[in-house]
Order: sequence, then C-alpha cells, then structure tokens
Amino acid sequence: MAVIAHDPSRPTQTHAEVTRDVLKTITDAPTRGYYVLVFGMAFLVLVLLGTVVAELKEGIGLAGYAPPIMWSVYITTFVFWVGIGHAGTLISAILFLFRSPWRTAVYRATEAMTVFAVMTAALFPILHIGREWLFYWLLPYPNQRYLWPNFKSPLMWDVFAISTYLTVSSTFLMVGLVPDLAAVRDNVSGWKKKLYTALSLGWTGADSQWRHYTRAYLYLAALATPLVLSVHSVVSWDFASSIVPGWHGTIFAPYFVAGAIYSGIGMVLTLMIPLRKVLKVEHMITDYHFDNLSKLTLLTGSILFYAYGMEYFVAWYSGSTFEQTTFWRRAFGPNWWAGWTMIICNAFVSQLLWFRKIRTNLTSLFVISIFINLGMWFERYVIVVSSLANDYLPYAWGQLNPTWADWCLLAGSFGWFGLWFTMFYKNFPIVAIQEIKEMIPMPRRKSAEGAH
Amino acid sequence: MARNAAGGFDEITWDDAIARLAAQLGTANGRVAAINGYGPSTFSTLLDDMVGALGGRSVRWEAFGREAERTANFRTWGRYELPSHDFAAADYLVSFGADFLETWGATVQQQRGFAEAHGYGNGTMAKHVYVGPRMNLTAANADEWLDVPAGTEIWVALCLARAAAMHHGSPLAAQLAAYTPEAAAERTGIPAERLAHVAEEFAAASAPLAVAGGIAAQHRGAIDLCRATNLANIAAGSIGTTVRFGDGPAAGNDYGTVQELFQSMDRGEVAVILVHEANPLYALPKSGNFAATFAKVGFKVSTANVMDETAAACDLILPNLHALERWDDRAPRPGVLGLMQPVMEPVKPGMHTGDVLLAAARAVGGPLAGFTAQTFEAHLRSAWTAEASRRGAGDAEGFWRDALQRGGVYEPAAPAPAPALSAGAADLAPGDTSFDGDGEFLFLPYPTSQYHDGRGSNKPWLLENPDPVTKITWQSWVELHPETAKRVDVREGEIVEVTSPHGTVRAQVYVYPGIRPDTVGMPLGLGHTAYGRYAADRGVNALDLLGAADGQGFLPYVATRVSLTKTRDYRQVAKTEGTPRQLGRGIIEAMPLAHAAAGMTPKESMTAAGHPPHEVNTERELEAIDGWYEAQKERWNLGNYGADETPKWGMAVDLSRCTGCSACVTACYAENNIATVGEEQVFKGREMSWMRIERYWEGGEDGEPLEARFAPVMCQHCDNAPCEPVCPVYASYHTPDGLNGQVYNRCVGTRYCSNNCPFKVRYYNWLKYNESAWPEPLNLQLNPEVTVRARGVMEKCTFCVQRIRAAQHTARLEDRPLRDGDVVTACQQACPSKAIAFGNVKDPSAEVVRWKRDPRGYTMLEATNVMPAVTYLAKVRAVDPVAHGEAPAAGEAH
Amino acid sequence: MAAHVPGVLGAFLHVDAACDAIRELKASGHADLTVYTAAPNHEIEEAIGDPISPLRWFTLLGGLLGCASGFGLTIWMSRDWPLLVGGKPIAAIPPYVVIGFELTILFGSLASVAAIFILSARKSLKGRPYAPRFSDDQIGIFVPCGPDRADQVQAMLEKHGPVEVTRDA
Repeated sequence: MAVIAHDPSRPTQTHAEVTRDVLKTITDAPTRGYYVLVFGMAFLVLVLLGTVVAELKEGIGLAGYAPPIMWSVYITTFVFWVGIGHAGTLISAILFLFRSPWRTAVYRATEAMTVFAVMTAALFPILHIGREWLFYWLLPYPNQRYLWPNFKSPLMWDVFAISTYLTVSSTFLMVGLVPDLAAVRDNVSGWKKKLYTALSLGWTGADSQWRHYTRAYLYLAALATPLVLSVHSVVSWDFASSIVPGWHGTIFAPYFVAGAIYSGIGMVLTLMIPLRKVLKVEHMITDYHFDNLSKLTLLTGSILFYAYGMEYFVAWYSGSTFEQTTFWRRAFGPNWWAGWTMIICNAFVSQLLWFRKIRTNLTSLFVISIFINLGMWFERYVIVVSSLANDYLPYAWGQLNPTWADWCLLAGSFGWFGLWFTMFYKNFPIVAIQEIKEMIPMPRRKSAEGAH
Repeated sequence: MARNAAGGFDEITWDDAIARLAAQLGTANGRVAAINGYGPSTFSTLLDDMVGALGGRSVRWEAFGREAERTANFRTWGRYELPSHDFAAADYLVSFGADFLETWGATVQQQRGFAEAHGYGNGTMAKHVYVGPRMNLTAANADEWLDVPAGTEIWVALCLARAAAMHHGSPLAAQLAAYTPEAAAERTGIPAERLAHVAEEFAAASAPLAVAGGIAAQHRGAIDLCRATNLANIAAGSIGTTVRFGDGPAAGNDYGTVQELFQSMDRGEVAVILVHEANPLYALPKSGNFAATFAKVGFKVSTANVMDETAAACDLILPNLHALERWDDRAPRPGVLGLMQPVMEPVKPGMHTGDVLLAAARAVGGPLAGFTAQTFEAHLRSAWTAEASRRGAGDAEGFWRDALQRGGVYEPAAPAPAPALSAGAADLAPGDTSFDGDGEFLFLPYPTSQYHDGRGSNKPWLLENPDPVTKITWQSWVELHPETAKRVDVREGEIVEVTSPHGTVRAQVYVYPGIRPDTVGMPLGLGHTAYGRYAADRGVNALDLLGAADGQGFLPYVATRVSLTKTRDYRQVAKTEGTPRQLGRGIIEAMPLAHAAAGMTPKESMTAAGHPPHEVNTERELEAIDGWYEAQKERWNLGNYGADETPKWGMAVDLSRCTGCSACVTACYAENNIATVGEEQVFKGREMSWMRIERYWEGGEDGEPLEARFAPVMCQHCDNAPCEPVCPVYASYHTPDGLNGQVYNRCVGTRYCSNNCPFKVRYYNWLKYNESAWPEPLNLQLNPEVTVRARGVMEKCTFCVQRIRAAQHTARLEDRPLRDGDVVTACQQACPSKAIAFGNVKDPSAEVVRWKRDPRGYTMLEATNVMPAVTYLAKVRAVDPVAHGEAPAAGEAH
Repeated sequence: MAAHVPGVLGAFLHVDAACDAIRELKASGHADLTVYTAAPNHEIEEAIGDPISPLRWFTLLGGLLGCASGFGLTIWMSRDWPLLVGGKPIAAIPPYVVIGFELTILFGSLASVAAIFILSARKSLKGRPYAPRFSDDQIGIFVPCGPDRADQVQAMLEKHGPVEVTRDA
C-alpha cells in the first residue's frame, strides 16, 4: 500500500501516550501561576457577590438603568454568555453527528466552556430582576395562590430553554467524562482515588456498558443539536417577539444563532490558545484544529455581516419610520461608538480569516478572538440598549450611563466563569481520552492488515 | 423658638414665647411693624387693628402685586384697583406678557375660562395671541406668538388700540392715529402685515380681551403698556363685557410701601417687627441689602412654620398652624368669602398666630385691651356673626353652619358701571424702555407656576413636576435660544456665568427655541439659603441679578441687561423630556379651525393640508386583521371574561382644551402615592410620573413659527396591551372591565412590560423610593386607599382603580346601577380646563363616548394596533389652514 | 462486595488477537463474557455480536412524554385560572410550542441517560475482576467459569497471544 500522507485530524500517539499526556495535566502539581489565576478569579467572584449584596440591599437601581432603557448591561451580559455556550455544543454535538474528526481534540474544553458559560448566563436573569428573591415565581410549581406562570411570555420560554440547555449540556459533558474519569481513577492514589472512583460511577469499560453508552451518547448529541439551535432562537425571541423597533425582526433567530456560535468560537480561541501551552498539549491540539475553528468563525462572521446588512435593508424597506429611526441612530445616534464597534469587530475583523496566514498564526488569531469577544458583547449592548433608547414616543427617549454596579457584575461574571473553568481544566481531563483513543487504531498482531 | 446668645435657636414654651412677645410689644412704644402676606381676611384685619392700636404700621405683602396694572388703571380711569377678566366670554385674546395660565391673576379660574373660550366646540373657538419675548405656558397655548423684544409690547398694544378705535369709530382713533402697524413693525421687528392682520382680527372680534401686567412684561415701561392695553380694551368695547370692575381681585400694598417700611427700619424707627406668611428676605433682590436693614430691627418675630430665610434672621419664631390645621377665612375678591376649618390634628406643636396675638394682647393690655376674644376661633365666629348681620342673615348660627358646609359664602359681586376715562388717559409717549447695564442680552427672570415667588420650592411634588414648557425639574437653569447658544458656544448643561450690574449667578444652560435670541431667561423661585431640606441650596436665585430700585411702585423684574461667560463646569439638566420633536409620528395631532369645523378627522386634515399620513399597514394587511380582534375576543370567554354586564373603562382627552399646565400630574402623585425621586434619579430618567405631559415642538425652523403641543400621556389601557403577554408571572394582565391591571405583589421586576410598552408609561421602583420619598411627617400625605409600592416592582396609571371600586361599592350599597360621572379620576378632577372625560365606554350616553365619537378623535401610535382605551381629540388651532405651510397641489405626497 | 465470580481474565494488547479470542470463546459456548476496553471499538463489538441497544425506545418515550407534558402543562395551567393578556387567546398554541419543544429535548435526554444506568444494570458486573490497565491500552476479557472449565478457557486465551492470563478461582 502506498504511504498515505499524514492526516492531520488523526492523532499520532499510542493509547498509552494519550493516557499519560492527558493525565499529566491533572497529576502535575499546580504552578504558582495557576494559584494566581484561581485567586484572581475568586476575587472577581467576591466582587460579584459584593455587588449582588449591595443590590439586594438597595435595589437594582444601583446599576445605570435609565428608563426607557429597562434592560441594559445585565441582559447584554446574559445574552453574551448564553451565546458563548453555543460553540461548545456545536462542536461537541453537531460536529459529532457530522463525524468531523477535528472536533475530538477540542470538544471537551469547549463543552466545559458551554456548561460554565450557561451557568454564568443563568445568573443574570435572576440578578437583573428587581426582586431577586422571588425568581422562583417563574417556575410552575403548585402554590396556595393557585397561580401559574404565563407561558405566553418569552421569559418563560427562556426559563425552559436555559434550564433545559444547562441540564442537557451538563449531562452531555458528564456522560462524556465518565470513561475518562475511570482512567483517572486507575492512575491516581489516596483520596483522589476515592474521589474519582465516586465520580466515575463504577465505570469499567465493559462491553455491556459501552453498548448502551455509545447509543446514549449518539442520542444526546442528536437531541442537543436542535437544542443548541433553539436556545439562542428563544433568547432572540425575547427581543423579536416584542414590538420594540430594532428588536421586532424575523431575522433574529438565525442571526442570533450565528452570532452565538461566532462569539463562542471566539471564546474557544481565547481560552484554548493559551491553555494548550500551559497544559503542554500542543501535539494534541494543533494548528490544524485552529485552522478549522477559524473557518467556522469566518463562516459565522460572514453570516453576521449579512445579517447586519439585512437589518438595515429591512429597516429601510419596511417604510416604518420607527425602524428607520432606530437604525439610523444605531449608526449615527448617541451610541454610534457601540454600533460601529459591533460592525467593525464582527463583520469586518472576521473577514481577515480569509487569509490562511492569519488563520494559522496563533498570535493573530488570539488578537482577533479578543476583538470577537468585544464585538459580540457590544452587539448585544447595541441590540438591547440602542433599541430601547429610542422607541415610539420621542419624549420618552433616554440615554444610558452604566455605573460601577454594571461593570462589577460584568467583571464578576468573568471571574465566576473563569473560576469554574480553571478548576475544571486542572482536575478533569481537558482532552477527551477515550474519544482520542477511539480514533487511534489499536495495535494488531498482523500489521499488514492494520490499515483499514 | 427663641434666638439664644450663641446665635442659634432654643426651644421655649409657648407661655414663655408669648410673654417675651408681649414684653417687647409693651415696651416698643409704638415702634411696631408687621409684614403680612396673608390676604384680606379676619386674621389680617385683626393684625392690622392690633398693630394700628400700638401705633405701628402693617404692610400687606404680595410678591407679584400687579402694581403697574393698578397704577395704569388709576391713570386711565382714576381707579387704583384691578378689574376681573372674563376669559370664557372672549372670542379673541391678546396677552402682553400677562401669564394668565401661570402666575398672573386667578390662574385656575382663568384657565377654566380660557379652555371654555379657546377649546374647540361647535365649529368655533377663540383665538389667542401672545406678545412677549419668551414662549411661556401662556404663549405656548397661543395660536400666534409675536416674539417682540421686552419693552416694545406697547407698540403692538397701541397698534391694536388704533385698529379697534378705527373699527368701532371710537373718539380715541384720532389720538392713536400714529400707531400704525408699520410703526409697530419698526419697533418690534414683527412684519407689519402680520401685525395688521392681528390688529384687524382684534378689532373685528365681537368679544375681544387684551390683558397685560404680568412679570414677563414688568419692565420700566410696564405702566404705559398696561395703559395702552386699557386703551385697546376701551377702543374694542371690552370694558363692562370681558373686562369688569367691581369684582376684581383684592391686592396688597405695593412695592413702594414695602420699600418705605424698610427705609424706616433703616432709620431705626422699628423696634419690633412681625413677619407673617411672607419671606421678604428671599423675595427681594439682594442688591437692596434688605437683610442688613432687617437686622437693625431690635426684636424680629416670625410666624413661619418652615425655617425660611426671614425666619432664620428673626429673634423669635412662633410657628403658625398649617392651613389644614387651623380656623381661618379669606376674601380673595368681592363676592367670595372662604371659610377654613381644621381637618387634622396639628402635626407639630404649632399655635395659631391669631391665638398668639390675642394672648399677647391680653398680656400687654393698655392699647390692646380692646382685644378680648379668648381664642382666634371665637374671634372668627364673632366676625362671621357680624358678617351675617351685615348681610341681613337673621340666623347667624345657620349662616355659619352653611358656610362651613360649603367652604364659604359665594355670591356674584354687584356689577360696577364702566368707569369714566380720566383726563389724559390716552396721552402716551412711548419711548425706549430703559435697562440697567450694558450686557449683550436682555434678562428675563420669570416666575413659574410651580414655585411662584419661591414659596413652592420646598415641596417635592412641585419640584419634581416638570416645568410645563422646559420640562426641567429640581433645578435652576439659564434659557438660551439655539442661535445664542451656538454663538456663545455652549451646549445644554454647560454652566455659564450670568453677570448683571447687580450681581452674578452660575447655572447650567438649557437651549430653548421659545425665547428670543437677544434674551436670556431664568426661572424665579429657587436658590433658597434656608426654607427646609428640599429648598435650601437648590439652584440659584435669579433675583440676585436684579436691582432693587423702585420702578414707580413696583419692582421692575425685566430691567437688566446681562452678559454671559462660559465656564468649564457642567451639570446635567434634570429634564424629563428625551427628544422634543415628533419626527412625523403623529403623536399629538393638531388641525386648523377650518378643518375641524368641516368635521375632518386628523388624517383628513393632514391630507387636505397636503401631507397625507403615512399608512403603515397595506390594504391587504388591513383586510387580514379585519375581524381578527372580534374573533380573538370570542376565545376569551372564560371565567370572569364572559360576563356582558361588566363595564369597560375608557378615557378621552381633548387636546384643544389641555393647556399643558401639569396640574393633573401632581394630582396623580397625590392620589396614587407616587414617590418623588429627586434630582439624581431624574438625571437617569427615573421619575415616576404615571401621568406626564409630553411637549413637542413643531416648526421653529426655517422661518416656520414655533408651535408647542401638549398631551397628557398616561397608561393607555390597551385592549391588545403589549405589556401583558410578556410578563412571566401575570403581574400585568387585563381585567374583565378593560383595565390593564398591575399586581404589585406579584411583580418580580423583569421590566419586560416597560420595554414592550410603546407609550413608556410604566414606572419602576429602582430603589427604595417608598422609604425616601415620604420622610416624617410627609407620610401623612399618603392616600390610605392606595398601596405604597416597594422597590423592585413596576407601577403605572390604574385609571384610579380605587375610585372605580369605591364608586361601584357605593352604587351597590345604594342598590342602583353605576351612573356616568360616578367615577372621576384624579387627573380629571384636577384639570382646570376640563380636558379629560372618563367613563364606561359600553354606556352609549356616557360623556366619554360622546367625546370618543368626535371626528377629531384618534389614538396614539395607531400603527402598533394596540387599541388604546384612551382617545385623544386633536388640538385645534385658530390659524389659517395654509398660513404657515406651502400649499401643495391636492394629492401631492409630502 | 457481592459474591466473587470465578473465572479467567486475559489481557490483550492487540485488537485482532482479542477479537479472535472472543470469537473462539463465544463459539465454544462462553456467552457471558465481559470485555473491557478503554474506548469503544467496532471490531470488538462485532466480535461480541450483541444486538443494537434498546436504549432508543427510552429516548423516544422520554421525548414523547416531554412533548405531551409541555403542551399539557401549558394548556391546563392557562385554563386553570383564565387570565387575559394582550388580547390573546387564553390557551394560545404558538407560544406553547416552545415549551413543548424544550421539554421534548429535556425528557428525551434525561431518559437516555437514565437508560444507560437501567440497561447497564441488567447485567451485573459485580464480583468480576478488573484491572486499571484496561482503561489505558489493554483489552481485558473475563470469562466466568467454574474451576472445571478453567484450564480449557485459559488455553483458549493463551492461544491468541495475550499479555497475561490470570485464573481467578
């Protein structure tokens, strides 16, 4: 047989090497830098807690809300984090169904990112309401008031979509982790052994386990695929089903889903580029993977470019003076800077990824990923704030000036997310051991028959 | 409280206080004076009599005393008094700086009359022309605003007088012949044709009325202006019809008398002074050094129940009871004798000043021995007994009881014959009005309807109720025309220094199209140094820029030129408006009189004017939603929604009657326990005004005349309310009687309802406003029928649901159906113009239904298909349909 | 610990060898094998030859139940206390589709995961030996058998070149 050129999607190590390399990320003693990171994140979480306590005490008005802008930085941040999550599910579930080989090396990290991003996002609907302690009234539980929630409200859809998404994606993550945790269990000792024994749920890799496990994993992926598309659609309907000019658009669901994936991959790049160095897994997560991630970014970025253009076109074509004014003010109103940040960071910067040189240069990719994160936060800021700032009655228009409470909660959300993620990558296999192994042909006695 | 040696105040007992007062009065040797701001009443007579018995003098204080008008009337007719003006009967109104909707005269009565005359009905309405340098609320309600420079109004007045005299063949015509529109045009800068047009209309009107004498024209030419206005009224035959003598308002002493009193203080002729219901140390310009003069008085007594500037300078403070806590009466004009009785227990340990005076009199004895009544209440009763016998009422007890029930005695004043003209009444030689200083701009300080002479500025309700035309709350500001602002290179919020020969103040700029480019405006009433926690150190006092010199019996407010200096400072303007233009959205519709008279709808009127309204829905879309609503309703019939006999509440607002005065706004605050939030929160737009008056500008650019439009905007209680379906917990829902209900207890505060409300009439408790808005004892003002909302919940107009339920309960108890008019909302009740109708829209005979059937009726933001329960009746303007716009060919799209 | 299951445990490095061993064991009547692998492997699956897992029925039923409860919950709750909002029907179907959809996914997913536990538990692995290297790079084959057949099994395994074979009496 002819020598086949090395397929970059295939790992080159043996099974034993995979186990060793991945386990090293867990068993190596944490560096000082790691502790600094953990404490830094923990500090931001304290900032978040402090802000929440202050707002519980005084009211949500500590943030910069300026009616008619009744939603601002918190909802912006909520949508931002929900969006981040989508890349993870896309990579872990959709690409799994498409049998895309390059997903294997990165999916565990992205899926963990999904779960933590959704956990972060889920904070905000609770923290942004005025009476945080009553958030459970949105749940349909029997009560002596005989009152049920209003399922016509997009916020109820949100409750169901977000909690379903959080449940399904964390289930998906944990199901995927179980065989890997068994591998960790078999390679550690002491209290850690007890911990991982408990976490691996008695997994042994027996055929009777794999038989059901692989099926379940497939169905989970199949169910998570429409879910990932639905969640950001539902989030977009929070806006699109209202009558606020700038929100009320049929384009919103696909536009939001594309934006979500775009922002999610941006975050994947931001996290993975430094992480692969820190964890010394460069040989597992290679330029090839980043090249593919970049192409996905380019695709979704271009969809966004189209969506932005289409929004303006529709605003003009609708003939509705309300829509026209809103979009005019997005570009040239008092929030022009946010509007242009969004367009430049998302529509224009993504177009740089047409160049292979940029796609394979990790430094430039990292810089671009920062722009993507920034741009996507501002996209939500523009949609939420700039639309609310000028709707129907000009007399009631307003301007937002975010306060410390806004910025502290935003910063705190990064701390909350970062703390979970940092703890995760140091204690759980950040690369899926069993799936990598699945891709590596096992050694055979008759090596001639090996290539299949 | 008495002043102690350290300069502070000690609390003392009332016995001690009265003893001290009596001791000083007993030894003053007649060197006693009083400044009394309480109008003609039994109390004022008592005070005058006592001060007189002691050999002193009592001055009746009135900040805006209309002295120039009275002097002018003296020179015209020989009568130093004020006539009454019948606005309701007028069919043509001209105001020369007389702000009859704000601070000039009996504003509520005048506004009612104005609405009767100027409100559209039966195809007709009066026309209103305002002459003055600034568009205040009165000018904003005019059909035509002649923005003449301050001091030149007289030329317009004389021009009108001339036209009227010529039209009616009055003997005055010869004397007024020189005052042609051209002469007036030369002085005022208003085109002669326009002036001639107004003059002709005035002359031809059947019941014209010209008024003058407001603060806006209280310059050194004010007396002549009022005289010229008198001539216009005389020439037009208005005396005895729209201008009547005999039942005009009572007035206080003039500014000259006040100055004389201070001069005698300066000379040391006053040993004891009593200040009652007046705050001269605030309301007189500082350049007059009145505070230093006041300090020369040996023993100064104040009866203020709020520590104002004057009280703070006194030696003894004897806090009077609040008006709601005391017996009193008042005779504001002939024919009206109001009687007040206490409606609540005193909140603070005050004492009726009448009781104090009577107790002191007993202690002093001697000259005061004649004042024997034990209490003021007894004194008041005996005064009313005397009044009863004066009126020939046999049963004094019955007279008293009747007055108590009705709040007073009201009878039409005897009409006085039209007074004879004085010799030389028409001898006028109008010249240039003189101004102090050589600054670039004319300075126009003006009182506002909230603060008046400064007495309103300690009340959060008034501080937070936006100024009707500028929409600014809680602050002072400097008003500049956009051109001026550009020229001086300042933007809104930049602080400028305004300097006159008499002083300097610093305040932030508000760019205002309704002021002449050569004039700088500033509101009066703020800038207190004392007067309680809300007033003290808030804003600046525009009086600091004025001279104190007497201008023939009055304080000339508009008599100064100022210069402006930019500073580097900035302070956000606490205004409640976002953008003052309608952007073609048809929010407040208006139509010319001819169109209204022809029975046109607002859309037809726009089409006739060559601006066919933009239809958002296409024919096919309209077809598609035709019947949809009815079909939808079929599917509601569950639970309480099925009953047919439930009423459906609706409202109608006649914008041709609404003046934008904002009384409804404060009424709503009072009725519904709406929290005031303060300046800092207003910066963020967090005011809670369930009802707000939106004010939009039309025109004012490219030579188009500036037009103001007002509309009260409250929850529209939409049938297809967008706020309701988005609430996840049903806190916002539709009641079976058509209200948009808001369940505070259930609200978790997602605020989605507000986002989805196209009218933005939902208000959110961002912070603990319920704890900050009513510090003790203001909690006593809360309406027990209405919940006070906690932080974190959304609130909004309920159509005064507590009044609806109360009326329904009453009807039930009386075993009768609810009648139209049983439910009166707070805004409806407070509206002086009667611009609001409310009732059951299922009752075909209801007033609200009649209003809603008016062709002028429209709902705001029709394109959103939310089906509001509030109908607006388009404003009608007494202007020529094509006077102010191009007259495009019919059907031409705009 | 449950009762110890006697038998023979073989460890293989080569996948083809393990498959051959499995096939031979199966042919000789040892149906109750337990094969440990670090990752799922199609060759081994084929060698074992179990039918496709019935887990899909759980997923389907979970999904259908979710869909039904989504619509049932929303419609019943709306009618339980009818409250009119925004002029919309009391029980409006289009907005409830979202809830129906989300619960379909949620119940389907949870049913699938639950099924792993339920189905795997049908074959108890308790008492069967296991070695950590099976989660690394070796394939383990455990053949439960009494001491009488142990020799035969051991020979069968050793024939295919295991790394190690241990008898577990």
